[in-house]
Amino acid sequence: MFSLDTGRLHAETYRFIEQVRNHYKISIDVLSPDKDALEKFVREKGLYSFYQDGHKECCGIRKVVPLRNKLATLDAWITGQRKDQSPGTRADVPVVEKDMAFSTADHVLIKFNPLSYWSSAQVWQYIRENDVPFNELHNRGFISIGCEPCTRPVLPNQHEREGRWWWEEATMKECGLHAGNLQQKAG
Amino acid sequence: MQISMVKKIKADGSPCRKCQEVEDRLKAAGLTDRIDKVIIADERDPESEGMNLAALHKVDRAPFFIVEEEGKAPRIYTIYMRFLKEVLNTEVSEEEQLRDILDAAPDIDYI
Ligand code: SF4
Repeated sequence: MFSLDTGRLHAETYRFIEQVRNHYKISIDVLSPDKDALEKFVREKGLYSFYQDGHKECCGIRKVVPLRNKLATLDAWITGQRKDQSPGTRADVPVVEKDMAFSTADHVLIKFNPLSYWSSAQVWQYIRENDVPFNELHNRGFISIGCEPCTRPVLPNQHEREGRWWWEEATMKECGLHAGNLQQKAG
Repeated sequence: MQISMVKKIKADGSPCRKCQEVEDRLKAAGLTDRIDKVIIADERDPESEGMNLAALHKVDRAPFFIVEEEGKAPRIYTIYMRFLKEVLNTEVSEEEQLRDILDAAPDIDYI
């Protein structure tokens, strides 16, 4: 099992990682960004450049590189992604798929999304019934939890994605092929 | 080798920003000639060739590239920089590659 430590997570999230480690008595690889790349980035652009020019550069260094390096050593991985987390941007979150983002010409990576068809309510029901540890920030209105500067609680009826990178919302949905059409075709 | 680029027309009839950007980058790099066919995925028409191909190859992003070679299964590229590197053998910077991964698969940064 592995987790990405961007260096910008909430203290509650670090405590949660420890809680999971102790609860399940498992070891967790906590992956850090490349030190040199991160130092160069912070020296040149500071600690909050994402509020000015978007989150992709920072996420690229703090998340995508460590994730890509880890996935290059694996044949498959399992995520907790769910279909209902995306407000209409994805055609589907298949339970099993070829990972298009991280497969290369000579390395096919398979991605399992076993919770794809679960609703948020089902997840919470499972958590309560089975005493599953959860991040204490959920008790304070946070639904989707990422890095501290890029995450905020949402109000009732706001989609969970509105709590992430809210200042650049408009540009994030551009490249999806409209879900309804593709689902219709795939079905 | 036959290379097709599938680009999107949005539900409101306007061209997709990312597709335009990729086309401009291909043009600036002098690589337009390497694309044999440009196919439209028109969100207003589920039967358009590009929408059919997206459904066939289970692709939900645009633009994407289909690389066909005789005797081999078609290869699909949703990440422009990877397409450049692996198919057109072009050097690309790390920063551009990372940006493209996030553009093509925005859900990964929710992980
Ligand atoms: S979520 Fe924010 S702080 Fe975290 S890696 Fe992305 S831009 Fe950086």
